[in-house]
Amino acid sequence: MASVEIQNVRKAYGAFETIKGVSVDVPDGAFVVLVGPSGCGKSTLLRMIAGLEEITGGTIRIDGRVINEVEPKNRDIAMVFQNYALYPHMTIAENMGFSLRLAKKSKEEIASRVADAARILGLTDYLQRYPKQLSGGQRQRVAMGRAIVRNPKVFLFDEPLSNLDAKLRVQMRAELKDIHARIRTTTVYVTHDQIEAMTMADRIVVMRDGIVEQVGAPLELYDKPANMFVASFIGSPSMNFLSAKVSEDHKSVVTENGVRLPLGAEASAAPGTAVTYGIRPEHLTIAAPGEGIPITVTNIEPTGSETFVQGAVDGQKISVQLRERLFIKTGDVLNLTLASANSHLFESVTGQRL
Amino acid sequence: MLKRKRFIFAILAILPTLAIFGYVRLYPIADTLRLSLFKWDILSRNKPFIGLANFRELMGDHLFLDALVNTTIIAFGVLLLTIPMALVIAALIFHRTRSRMAGFYETAVFIPHVVSLVPAAMAWKWIFDARLGPLNALLNFFGIPAQNWLFDPVLSVICIIVLCSWQALGYAVLIYIVGFKNLPVSLYEAAKLDGASGPQSFWFLSIPMLKPITLYVSVVTLVSGFNVYAQAFVLASDAQGAPGRQVRVLVLDMLENSFRNYRVGYAASEAVVLLVIVLVLTLIQFSMLRERGRI
Repeated sequence: MASVEIQNVRKAYGAFETIKGVSVDVPDGAFVVLVGPSGCGKSTLLRMIAGLEEITGGTIRIDGRVINEVEPKNRDIAMVFQNYALYPHMTIAENMGFSLRLAKKSKEEIASRVADAARILGLTDYLQRYPKQLSGGQRQRVAMGRAIVRNPKVFLFDEPLSNLDAKLRVQMRAELKDIHARIRTTTVYVTHDQIEAMTMADRIVVMRDGIVEQVGAPLELYDKPANMFVASFIGSPSMNFLSAKVSEDHKSVVTENGVRLPLGAEASAAPGTAVTYGIRPEHLTIAAPGEGIPITVTNIEPTGSETFVQGAVDGQKISVQLRERLFIKTGDVLNLTLASANSHLFESVTGQRL
Repeated sequence: MLKRKRFIFAILAILPTLAIFGYVRLYPIADTLRLSLFKWDILSRNKPFIGLANFRELMGDHLFLDALVNTTIIAFGVLLLTIPMALVIAALIFHRTRSRMAGFYETAVFIPHVVSLVPAAMAWKWIFDARLGPLNALLNFFGIPAQNWLFDPVLSVICIIVLCSWQALGYAVLIYIVGFKNLPVSLYEAAKLDGASGPQSFWFLSIPMLKPITLYVSVVTLVSGFNVYAQAFVLASDAQGAPGRQVRVLVLDMLENSFRNYRVGYAASEAVVLLVIVLVLTLIQFSMLRERGRI
């Protein structure tokens, strides 16, 4: 086990910089998820930790040792690839034991370590089969197994679940979390799926365009997003944003046509400052008759357990997640209460949290 | 109704091609099979059916058996030389694709395959020349005595194998490069992390994963090896200068029988033997490919 320290790491292809100075600390035994939209540099960062991409600037340390110039095989890491990258001509046992075979371990040791990993992953019955004969989920487990047998300092995962169907993904998510809880190897996990990030991580690193937008525990990111990007990226359906101006008494913000939106705490910005008001769809509830904020319904999506309503407040789009079943149609006006304690305020221009 | 019309149209559309194909490819094969069963020569009017007599005669014909042994040695020699070399060269070219010279290397290896056979063979004849050839000059330089390359019965076969391999190499390398390009990069990255060095990835990943390509290239090389003729004809004349006699090959024997001895039926039976060899090799390849597909 080991920690990973990434300090001011840069990656450039020619003049084009894809990673613009990223610093992340992965403590010993932690499960850290790098999340962000495609092209944000998260996979590149992971591949730099693995040694598959050269590091243009900055340093990466594993267990305190700078590994910038160290060969991948000497970094003591194992990586699980998105497409599993299993060797098609080798059996599952050979796939899992390949690294040990290259390390010139004895046949008995290889067999016993492969058997141990197979037991952890429930692959014992499949050891003599070929990758082609396994299902997607089983192949995923073999890829995990190949990483586990080596007992590396750090596990790297590059979107390992994105080739699985939705149901299997949920199941594998739980399995991965369970395996990490048992073997507690430091893990860096890359995904573009914020739900995966939220459910699995000890810490989430949100990236965009080659920079880190925010680092924190999952609920910390959810409750206190540092900026509008994190606010919109974490949580599904994503947060509503309404543009408004700070009121005279600092206790609310007012939209263009005078709809007053309540704040949980007094706004620090001067009255009249243009801001963006953020509120998550689940923090809106149906108000008592005659109270609340009127919303014109434009679309209704009942899912059974809850109802998603899209509408407009003062001409600005808003979506609402309600627990109750509603008998309304598009065009109706719904009065809603905003949970002011859960509201967020962002600077309009920079998008930073106020 | 429409379906039927379209079917008829389709048949009509491919009929000319089929007809040409049948006439130039299938008819000669069928006719060769037929000729091999007749005592068919250009001079006699009478061309009687003699069953398998031609084949029985072949079994005792020293010239034919010589040619068969020589041809087989050449074909397998070319195979054994070409396949490993092509694999290694293709790997080197592929893994250096970022170099500016990659295109040059590829072309350089492929050119022998498209160069006309006879001038190329003449050039090699000069290389192997006992008195003037650069090969012997090189050997002399290292203190090795000059060899009589083209007149020694063993060395001359080796010379032909070298020439044929030089020509077959370009095609094999080209096919292997395509094979390399289709191997998934992530497997090599995984192997790198598993601790494999370059040669180890080549040995443990590339070679087994390129097996279907190797099978294909082997059969193509073997078949063209069995059809060796011009190389032997140009390169190896006997002591009196008669071309092709030093290393007798199947195609030469066939030509001599049909156009020198006028025994066309007998030559046809030789062609049938060659056809059977080639067919068997192809069948072996197909069955091996199918076996692999089962995994």
